[in-house]
Amino acid sequence: MAVQPELEKKGFAQTVLDAADDVFTRITAGIPAGEVRRMLRGEAPGRPNPRLKPHSEAFLLHIKPTYYHESVTRFTHTFRLGLLSTYLFFVETITGLILMIWYAPTPERAYTDMIRLLSNVPFGQLMRDLHRLGAELMVLIVTAHMVRTYLTGSYKAPRQFTWFTGVILLVVTLFLSFSGYLLPWDQLAFWAVTIGTSMAEAVPPKVVGETVNLLARGAPDIGANGLMRFYLLHVLFLPLVLFLFFFVHYYKVVHFGISLPSDEEEIGQDTANKVPADRRVYFLPDVMIDEATFLIGFTALMVVITAFFFSAPLESIANPQSTPLHTVAPWYFYWLQGLLKIADKTIAGVILPGVLLVLLIAIPYLDRNPSRRGRDRRVAIISGVVAGIVMIILSWMGTPYYAVQGAPSVEIVQELMPEEGMGPVREIGYAHLPLGKYDTRENPVTDDEEFNHILHEFEASIAAFEEKDPSFNQAYGILSVTQEQPSLKRITWEIYWLSPEGVQDKFVRTFFLHEDSLYWEQYGLKDFSFVRPPAEE
Amino acid sequence: MKRPWYSFLYIRSPLVKIGLGIVAVMISIAVLLFLGVIEDRRMAAQTANWDGRAIEKGAEIYANNCYTCHGPDGKGLPGVAPALHSKYFFTQRLKDVGWTGSLHDYVASTVAAGRPSKVKSQWAQMMPTWSQRFGGPLRDDQVNNVTAFVLNWEKDALTQGTPDNPDPWQPFADAPSKAVAEGGGAPVAETPVEPTGPRSPQELFAGANGMGCSGCHNLDLPQTADSRGPVGPNMANLYETAGSMVPGQDAETYVYNSIVAPNDYIHEGYMAGIMPQNFAERMTEEEIRSLVAWLLDPNRQR
Repeated sequence: MAVQPELEKKGFAQTVLDAADDVFTRITAGIPAGEVRRMLRGEAPGRPNPRLKPHSEAFLLHIKPTYYHESVTRFTHTFRLGLLSTYLFFVETITGLILMIWYAPTPERAYTDMIRLLSNVPFGQLMRDLHRLGAELMVLIVTAHMVRTYLTGSYKAPRQFTWFTGVILLVVTLFLSFSGYLLPWDQLAFWAVTIGTSMAEAVPPKVVGETVNLLARGAPDIGANGLMRFYLLHVLFLPLVLFLFFFVHYYKVVHFGISLPSDEEEIGQDTANKVPADRRVYFLPDVMIDEATFLIGFTALMVVITAFFFSAPLESIANPQSTPLHTVAPWYFYWLQGLLKIADKTIAGVILPGVLLVLLIAIPYLDRNPSRRGRDRRVAIISGVVAGIVMIILSWMGTPYYAVQGAPSVEIVQELMPEEGMGPVREIGYAHLPLGKYDTRENPVTDDEEFNHILHEFEASIAAFEEKDPSFNQAYGILSVTQEQPSLKRITWEIYWLSPEGVQDKFVRTFFLHEDSLYWEQYGLKDFSFVRPPAEE
Repeated sequence: MKRPWYSFLYIRSPLVKIGLGIVAVMISIAVLLFLGVIEDRRMAAQTANWDGRAIEKGAEIYANNCYTCHGPDGKGLPGVAPALHSKYFFTQRLKDVGWTGSLHDYVASTVAAGRPSKVKSQWAQMMPTWSQRFGGPLRDDQVNNVTAFVLNWEKDALTQGTPDNPDPWQPFADAPSKAVAEGGGAPVAETPVEPTGPRSPQELFAGANGMGCSGCHNLDLPQTADSRGPVGPNMANLYETAGSMVPGQDAETYVYNSIVAPNDYIHEGYMAGIMPQNFAERMTEEEIRSLVAWLLDPNRQR
């Protein structure tokens, strides 16, 4: 190297500066430090634009367009939902890989691994909560992305195939989220997936349905084989499918460009790729800074939500012998559960969802209207809104509030102290359950305000059911709290009522509650009471 | 172009965006630092939580399966099953049986594999095998839960040994089958103890050489809808009810049959197989007759 002559010519300081700039330019894949400074100052690029170099030099940037139409970079045009979906897939991959370190997909280990992750791994709970929150947000955001595309008519020619890959990505996202559901191997997981796979059984003809069900479960019932299959689907097969379709989808998005706001082009035209020079917004630096800030902000939001307001649920270990009361699917399948309540399993579980899927894919071909403007697409938009409302109603019907009320006595106790999860009694906790026997006929009042509230709810709930249900008369309840062991209380609910024939009937349910037990809801402010342990007696 | 009301969402300045990004990063770091500081306490709380939940689950299993023999409070039932809620059990038992592992292992393996020996012990029932590994109903995690529940008596049990709060442990009757011959050979054949004349009904019902009836049957409480014995019926009003229990059997026959063949008639709410079925061999005919007469005596002497 001819260091000596260069030094003599430029002097020492200048040589060092040039070498530093050279290194900088390599790191930024072609943009020297001076140009970065000009970017940050908001100065226009020179000609030819020196800021395009990274798009040809850097692998990760070569798939990004070099410039966008100014109108599509406005936040309210796309809400960055596609970017967000991609980013969430990235978040799920990272957190998922971390979770895999502490997880073995066998019935003997899966559940204890969850407990170990929560109680022995630093930031283990955060990782699990982030992964779960990310999964639910991903379903939400992918759906919102599709709704946005539908409302702006962006599926129209030439983007029919982009829409098709998008529908596939939505389905894969749903399956990814659902296949992850089984992995903790708790009651929630086990029964949701048992119900889910039993829908596959309804595929006609019978032999096909049974084979599909058997393939998914690996045995007539979900067990070690089923868990392994769902695990492999979740960590390998479905991510690969998603990966493939993501790149096809993204290639199409870049290829056709993001469709412009419909007012800015003639009906039937597509000028997304013909951006006038004065409307160009270059990826470097404007769009990149915008996207980076957006994702960083979103990450901060996720961290805050996970830290304070979201806890992934973990119920009792899976027990194939006992179905918990009010088993529900994940919320994004409530609509399917609602359908199953009003129609036959084959129709509601297989044919209707199948028709729905085909319809979604066929939308660009059914809708021959060339205009993407809202006022020209009244039929499409109204039918889309109606479909959305129907989905919401069906989802409501999928919750336990619709058509699965059990006997009043069972429901009263379930409301106050559910078989799984928290409920108001576990929420006030061991310390607020004074020992004694409380009969609702005597309107008992204790020194503990929170416990009084429970007793009041117990009374009110019995009274409400008495009014509603003619077979539930002159009902009263007795709640007894006894000390079973050191730090363990026995909570016995007794409900007595007269049947219409005047025969006395009785329901008894016993629960135990330990002093150290923490129960939590999935959504809501987290309990940080452990930070300051109660003063020693 | 007209700027819509939501145009505040369009941030153009790169420096503002970068500033916002830096604020977001700071917020994330602050939250993560906060979580890092409380992480040890969170893990401790979670550990205690899952231990507590194991005890809750164990309590349910105990209440459904174990209490009929080991008693609702774990203090055992004389003649039926030994106490677990006992100071002796927590402090001395392992040394006496020569168990080298932990008490947790001892309880868990006894729950799992049972105590198949029924040879000449004072316990009427044998401990069944509870683990699915040995043909029982419980999964491994359930065996661990019920073990956690039993061990949770420790704090209470260690306060025992005062006159108000005696240790409920009943020393095991010496079972000859457990004896080992000189030099570690096979057990010596058992030699039945010759009976030394008829025993009194009181002795049979509650005495040291008796049948252990008092473990399950309460003589002082009546058997009514409000007051029923948890394991076996109460007997204060037996003389009134015995004659009308089974059609065609007078009071004497009913009580006699209930002793020699308890499974022939099981009253609603009780389980067959709890009361031992070998009383006809363990008592003489004369003793059984005197026991029946004593039980049906309205002025029975204790």
